[in-house]
Amino acid sequence: MPASKRRVPVSQPGMADPHQLFDDTSSAQSRGYGAQRAPGGLGYPTASASPQSAFLGDPVSNMAMAYGSSLAAQGKELVDKNIDRFIPVTKLKYYFAVDTMYVGKKLGLLFFPYLHQDWEVQYQQDTPVAPRFDVNAPDLYIPAMAFITYVLVAGLALGTQDRFSPDLLGLQASSALAWLTLEVLAILLSLYLVTVNTDLTTIDLVAFLGYKYVGMIGGVLMGLLFGKVVYYLVLGWCCVSIFVFMIRTLRLKILAEAAAEGIPVRGARNQLRMYLTMAVAAAQPLLMYWLTFHLVR
Amino acid sequence: MAFTLYSLLQAALLCVNAIAVLHEERFLKNIGWGTDQGIGGFEEEPGIKSQLMNLIRSVRTVMRVPLIIVNSIAIILLLLFG
Repeated sequence: MPASKRRVPVSQPGMADPHQLFDDTSSAQSRGYGAQRAPGGLGYPTASASPQSAFLGDPVSNMAMAYGSSLAAQGKELVDKNIDRFIPVTKLKYYFAVDTMYVGKKLGLLFFPYLHQDWEVQYQQDTPVAPRFDVNAPDLYIPAMAFITYVLVAGLALGTQDRFSPDLLGLQASSALAWLTLEVLAILLSLYLVTVNTDLTTIDLVAFLGYKYVGMIGGVLMGLLFGKVVYYLVLGWCCVSIFVFMIRTLRLKILAEAAAEGIPVRGARNQLRMYLTMAVAAAQPLLMYWLTFHLVR
Repeated sequence: MAFTLYSLLQAALLCVNAIAVLHEERFLKNIGWGTDQGIGGFEEEPGIKSQLMNLIRSVRTVMRVPLIIVNSIAIILLLLFG
């Protein structure tokens, strides 16, 4: 029963509200602000007598302040309503609901994915569980941080070779971003052509493709510290790890039915999907080498 | 390594132009990729060829007018900034 195997409800004692992505700290804050505001409000009637605060006691400026704050609230509401049309903020929040333990486990998985057994994402009432509760869920925190760190490490590497200039940083960032965009578009095109029915969203894809920056950073840093041979060794290790990681993750998304039962892939359609998975996974080491070899001389 | 986002945009514009320029009668029909030669199999899964034909047809229909605008902008930018 592959269908029931995928939708196992998770009931961990540590989760208070399954749909809550972040801890609720608002109650503590509002108590603090309320206590701070009460003495300030009481201070207004008594301050109207003194000339310095005659400005604050004036009813017209009171009205103006109230009007200004209501206008600001309206503007904020309008911006919040419209920004959801261009950037799916609520969907993005899911990808940043991480904690330190998740990041540690995920980084370990990226460098050593060989012992991990269960690669399925746990579901909670038809929605995938937030990354902080399941190490298999994709997140955008690690790729974003890894990308920024890669740009900085590239600047550092160029600096040690006296080839640095500030606009080169922008060029590196723009170049890596362009390769990422190209990869995402190519994979989306091939997914469309092979008519794969998958729940792999674009943001998921960006998250998976961003994981290779971690390996790239590792390789370049080791290469800067210990020389070119160590760079090749570390990069080779990270390339193989990312290859295995991508195959095991994408197999579950693209080859859903076949992988859930664990049977070897058969049939023309499944074979095409397997080739697609292997091609995506093989492109990662190539890009990792292409984006870093000019940094370590 | 001068692969910037702008060059990616230029490459994408050139590719879409190339798809839009394919002539229906003189070329696509002759190699069997015409719009009326693909819509056959509704029972089975559409193969890669019919997906490609669908894609070409939709790109040519949808991107006609926006391509005029984007091409004009690209020409003006190239004339001004080289």
